[in-house]
Amino acid sequence: MRVAIAEDSVLLREGLASLLDDAGFDVIAQCETADELRLKVDSYSPDVAIVDIRLPPTHNDEGLVAALEIRDRHPSVGVLVLSQYMELGLAMKLLADSADGVGYLLKDRISDVDDFVAAVQRVGTGGSVVDPAIVSTLLSRQRSDDPLATLTPREREVLELMATGSSNQGIADELVISLRAAEKYVSSIFGKLGLPSTGSESRRVLAVLMFLRS
Amino acid sequence: MLAAASAAAGSVLLAHASDDLSEPVLEAALLNWTTLPYIAAGSIAWARRPDSRFGRLMVAAGFAMFLSSLQWSQTDVPFTLGMAFDLLPAAILLHLFLAFPSGRLERGAERTLVVAAYTAALGLQLVKMLLWSVQGRNVLAVAEETEAAFTVEDVELGLLSALCLGGVLVLVVRRRGLVRPLRPSIALLVDSFACGLVMVAVLLTAGAFEWPAFETIRRITFLVIGLTPVAFLIGLLDARFSGSTLRELLVRLREEPAPADLRDSLADALRDPSLTVAYWLQDFGRWVDAQGRPVDLPTEGSGQVTKFIDHDGSSAVALLHDPSLADEPELLGAVTAAAAIALENERLHAELRARLDELRGSRQRVIEAGQEERQRLERDLHDGAQQRLIALSLELGRLERRLSGDADARGRLDRARREVAMSLEELRAVAHGIHPAVVSGHGLAVALESLTVRAPVPVRLDVRLEGRMPERLEVAAYYVVSESLANVAKHAHATLARVDVARRDGGLVVEVLDDGVGGADTERGTGLRGLADRVEALGGRLLVWTPHGGGTRVRAELPCA
Repeated sequence: MRVAIAEDSVLLREGLASLLDDAGFDVIAQCETADELRLKVDSYSPDVAIVDIRLPPTHNDEGLVAALEIRDRHPSVGVLVLSQYMELGLAMKLLADSADGVGYLLKDRISDVDDFVAAVQRVGTGGSVVDPAIVSTLLSRQRSDDPLATLTPREREVLELMATGSSNQGIADELVISLRAAEKYVSSIFGKLGLPSTGSESRRVLAVLMFLRS
Repeated sequence: MLAAASAAAGSVLLAHASDDLSEPVLEAALLNWTTLPYIAAGSIAWARRPDSRFGRLMVAAGFAMFLSSLQWSQTDVPFTLGMAFDLLPAAILLHLFLAFPSGRLERGAERTLVVAAYTAALGLQLVKMLLWSVQGRNVLAVAEETEAAFTVEDVELGLLSALCLGGVLVLVVRRRGLVRPLRPSIALLVDSFACGLVMVAVLLTAGAFEWPAFETIRRITFLVIGLTPVAFLIGLLDARFSGSTLRELLVRLREEPAPADLRDSLADALRDPSLTVAYWLQDFGRWVDAQGRPVDLPTEGSGQVTKFIDHDGSSAVALLHDPSLADEPELLGAVTAAAAIALENERLHAELRARLDELRGSRQRVIEAGQEERQRLERDLHDGAQQRLIALSLELGRLERRLSGDADARGRLDRARREVAMSLEELRAVAHGIHPAVVSGHGLAVALESLTVRAPVPVRLDVRLEGRMPERLEVAAYYVVSESLANVAKHAHATLARVDVARRDGGLVVEVLDDGVGGADTERGTGLRGLADRVEALGGRLLVWTPHGGGTRVRAELPCA
């Protein structure tokens, strides 16, 4: 799988590159700025672009703008955005149109090497990744009439995993249950929350997030 | 006086003795009608304003007109003199009328006209006299070329006539360009100047073409010219007794409350719409208007004149007025005397306003400097410690993967990694507390999502903003919401809250409402004082309604400018 990285800290950029290299990825570009990344993506069209949200020159929204632009111009390129701060608003902005091949992770997550590698893999194959911290914030949100109250504790766990982008198989593996059981939980949750059942897992992510946010 | 009386007597005697005059009494009366009023009015003006040259010029004009009466003399030398100065009155009247009110010719075109007129009246006259002996009475004649002499005379009369009409044009143009409308009596005077010049022009033309009605025209012209000093005297008296506008001003100054704008009242009283009142602020070392805005005093020739009004021995107030007001020193003096106390009051107000502005500016600068410093600190933390810690934790993670055999080492590395993760978490909170970078980076709407989702009570968020607003506004609005929601959590015992953000008149309006117990202490503990400072420093205002048992509503209005 071919990866391009945009990160202005040399230390982190090289760390990320060698981590991904070790894990068998083909790191085709290491960029310092958003413009450089755009160029590399245009010419090499990698499977995934990993983008730091704060990039030079202003360190404001250059990374996010580049990520949204790449999604627009190259739908086949997965985009994984790394953020120093955990902002629901940014996740929603990134996922607004579709969650296919999109990820939003707290930068710290790269130290969980296995999870991070899995996340890059998932975004590279068109799946979605939402930082668990975002999901737990949404779940812990205060509501006046809480529809989540009808869920069993196990269903809440499944909902949380669904929202972070896990597939049914991923949920089954994580909770150590059968795939069939995971599927049963998922359809039960959709029934209780009154969500329309959707085809792909990434569409499911968006539906759950929108539900939790509203 | 004596000179005038003897000149008058002389002219009467000359007229009587003359053989040329058919009606000596009428001629002498007409001559004195055109001369004595000039000398009298000029003397009065001279006595009242010794520094103005106009009075002196007027007296000189009167005497110059007497000179022409010498040609009634039967003796050759006085006759020659009288003839030489025959047309001088036309030139000197043009000079006098154009030199009103200062007694000086201010513009180049005016000077050219007057110099040309003197040249024609004296120079061409001399040429004519060299060529024509007038039956031997003119002692200056050196030849007897009467044809040539008459041609010179025609040119002379035509030229002078044209110059007088030019003078009328100057008067008309000058009047059109006036900022300050003329006092009615002065307008009458200027009209009499124009009439006089027109009549002189007609008379000269009549002379050149030898119209049959010449004599009648001459008498009418003399009558008209004699009216000018009368109009001038009316003007002088009017300036002295224009007390009604002053009374009106006094009534207005005594009104309760005082007139909103002292300048307008003074401008009305002085009839000068261009009037500017400037106040000296000693501590700031500058002149300002009533609103505290800096004022530049006019320089020489800028079309305005400054009158300083002293208070406690130093100039405290300056009136910047139209130059024409300088001719009415009585009016200017009376108005400024009447308004002295009001002006000093207004000066103190202007000083207060200037101090307030300065204070507001310095508060804004202090807050902005603080903001910049915080932003820099947050950036330093992000680029420095946070990045290094993440890199460190990444290194630990990779190491942990490599040591797959050694369970003890893996466990210890994992613990180390968790420690780093916690440090990062804390650092992130500190950095966010220093400056909400997400507001600068991605705007208020994005930043408010997390803020409201994390609030301890359900919050309905309604942001109606298209695009970004100026960063300082967005940051201030963010603090208003964050501080208000923190208050809701700590004090309100609310079950619901609402956050509304909308653009209004180019600015930003933020409202945070809750359904809690209300009665918030707006001075202590709630951070509302600090919020108010922040909002007010941006020129906005913070309103808090917090009735007991009625919930709390915080509203911040942030203007864009």
